[in-house]
Amino acid sequence: MPHTFTLPSLPEGWSADKNFKAIGSLSKPSQRIIEPVGPHFLAHARRKRHKRTFSEDER
Amino acid sequence: MSEEEAPDSRVCIGVSFGNSYSSIAYTAADGKTEVIANEDGDRQIPSILSYVSGEEFNGNQAKAQLVRNPENTVVCFRDFLGREFKDIDPTPCHTSAHPISQDSTIAFNICDDDSGNAHPVSISTITTRHLARLKASASDYLGRNVTHAVLTVPTNFTPAQQEALKACAAEAKISILHFIHEPISSLLAYDARSPDTASPSDKNVVVVDIGATRSDVTVVASRGGIYTILATQHDYDTAGTQLDSVLIDHFAKAFLQKHKTSTDPRTTPRSLAKMKLECENVKKHLSLSTSATFSVESLVSGLDFTLTINRSRYELLASKHFQALGRLVLAGVTKAGLDPLDVSEIVMAGGSSHTPRIASAIAALFPEETRVFSPATDNNAVNPSEAAARGAAIQASLIAEFEEKDIEESVHAVVTSTPHLEATVGLVGAGDSFLPVVLKDTPVPVRKTVTVAAPKDGGDVLVRIAEGERAIDVTVAEKVEKKTNGAKTDDEDSDEASESDDEPEEIRKVVWKATKPVAEAGVAGVKKGGKVEVQISVHADLTVHVQIREVGGKGGVRGTVEASS
Ligand SMILES: Nc1ncnc2c1ncn2[C@@H]1O[C@H](COP(=O)(O)OP(=O)(O)OP(=O)(O)O)[C@@H](O)[C@H]1O
Ligand SMILES: [Mg+2]
Repeated sequence: MPHTFTLPSLPEGWSADKNFKAIGSLSKPSQRIIEPVGPHFLAHARRKRHKRTFSEDER
Repeated sequence: MSEEEAPDSRVCIGVSFGNSYSSIAYTAADGKTEVIANEDGDRQIPSILSYVSGEEFNGNQAKAQLVRNPENTVVCFRDFLGREFKDIDPTPCHTSAHPISQDSTIAFNICDDDSGNAHPVSISTITTRHLARLKASASDYLGRNVTHAVLTVPTNFTPAQQEALKACAAEAKISILHFIHEPISSLLAYDARSPDTASPSDKNVVVVDIGATRSDVTVVASRGGIYTILATQHDYDTAGTQLDSVLIDHFAKAFLQKHKTSTDPRTTPRSLAKMKLECENVKKHLSLSTSATFSVESLVSGLDFTLTINRSRYELLASKHFQALGRLVLAGVTKAGLDPLDVSEIVMAGGSSHTPRIASAIAALFPEETRVFSPATDNNAVNPSEAAARGAAIQASLIAEFEEKDIEESVHAVVTSTPHLEATVGLVGAGDSFLPVVLKDTPVPVRKTVTVAAPKDGGDVLVRIAEGERAIDVTVAEKVEKKTNGAKTDDEDSDEASESDDEPEEIRKVVWKATKPVAEAGVAGVKKGGKVEVQISVHADLTVHVQIREVGGKGGVRGTVEASS
């Protein structure tokens, strides 16, 4: 499926400030419990406890 | 040695303590996980204690006592821990020591000393003794005193049950670093050895754990190696014990046919106990061989009985149980709001998952692309009897160095309770195609990057970000070869292969469509045959940051989509 996916051309007359426009927002999330297990959870917990972002975490 | 050891002198094992079997495992510094055999050489250690004139037996030695000494043999106690007598189903203990009510907990009325008199021994005492035996076996094997453990528990174990279990472990001088859910532990055992451990793919996994007294189905969203349980199903009526009963009935009837005037061996406790043990062995043999022999000396009234059964006969006799397990799995998938097409992997855990026909019956309910991990369907499968213990050992090695305070903080709801995306976020392509990028049920924050093709001739390109929905497109194919998926079937007695060959078969496939636009961006002057990289970051408050650039180009477009208020 990813192989056949192609972006469309920009329609005539399309314009936006800095070429980007927000149109909507994401649907309300659902609150769920993640399992505190495995190496990737530990990375998540580290970020969350130290309020770090992905890129800060990568440093 | 003091109880309060520094983290670096800890010896931390993984323990799977089931109602019927326990196993212990250790992950060494080199990352190798080993399932530890006890002094009898067993890696599946029956969770059974038996007392003979004050002497304690555990594991298979205790299990053998079910024939001669059932009243002082305690089986199947794990699920009773931390519960009240009125809330339990004592059925699995019918032919061994009976659970009784004691204060607000449960005890077994047994004689565990040389007094010759039975008296109540609390479930906590029993559990403590069993855990102490496991600890001793592991310490013996490792040559070092085991101090800590990660223990697996069912997903429906209550906080009270965990507290009770923790107290028993402490009595047995084992500090529990933390409890992890059995199905998640089995899944970790698989994921830890998969080639993409560094950046695991997103997938929906169903863990099917078929034990002796219970079968549990757990549907898990695995996103970047983080696991979220979407749904669970529990069944206490179809598991290994019922499969044993199928064989018990079969051999009892055959015996009665041969010895028409004999008593039914199922009606004499001792004969029934012998049949149970032998039928479990026969059943295990049938997972490996296409035939197995039941043989018991002096089954009843001094009569010996020997008879061979072939696998296909057994499969026919047990087919209604296999079908029930299939329905249980599908019910779990439906409860999670998923379709079989949404499931990438099925992890078969629990001893009964060795049964080839169970694995193939479940595989047949899913599309061919769904990988089914079981001994019968995958050469690299983890032993399903060991998966939970292995995962626990891996987790133990991951956190062995942590301060207990840090572990507690990490498993706290402040850290684990997380918003998850309600809808898949992706890109809308030419012809209104939709490419999912961040799947529904992904915990946030999350960051994903995709690289997609621009139109063949390049030019100015539109990147549309939207929420999307998966639908299922059903078409009817004229004539399709029936797929058998996995284990080969013996032609004899095979009731499935012949049926419905010429019937048209439904072909179901996933189609995605955009449902709600989120943002648009324009990328100017993309070169011929160029590609565009789109990075979508969703923050914890659902704010979206988008970063788009032509691969190999300079500049790019950035933008932010605020969360709805
Ligand atoms: N090779 C095999 N083939 C078929 N069944 C097997 C095999 N090995 C073990 N079993 C069955 O698996 C069951 C035990 O499963 P498991 O080891 O997962 O125990 P458990 O989790 O303690 O069970 P539970 O808690 O449901 O009572 C038993 O019924 C046993 O007969
Ligand atoms: Mg189990």
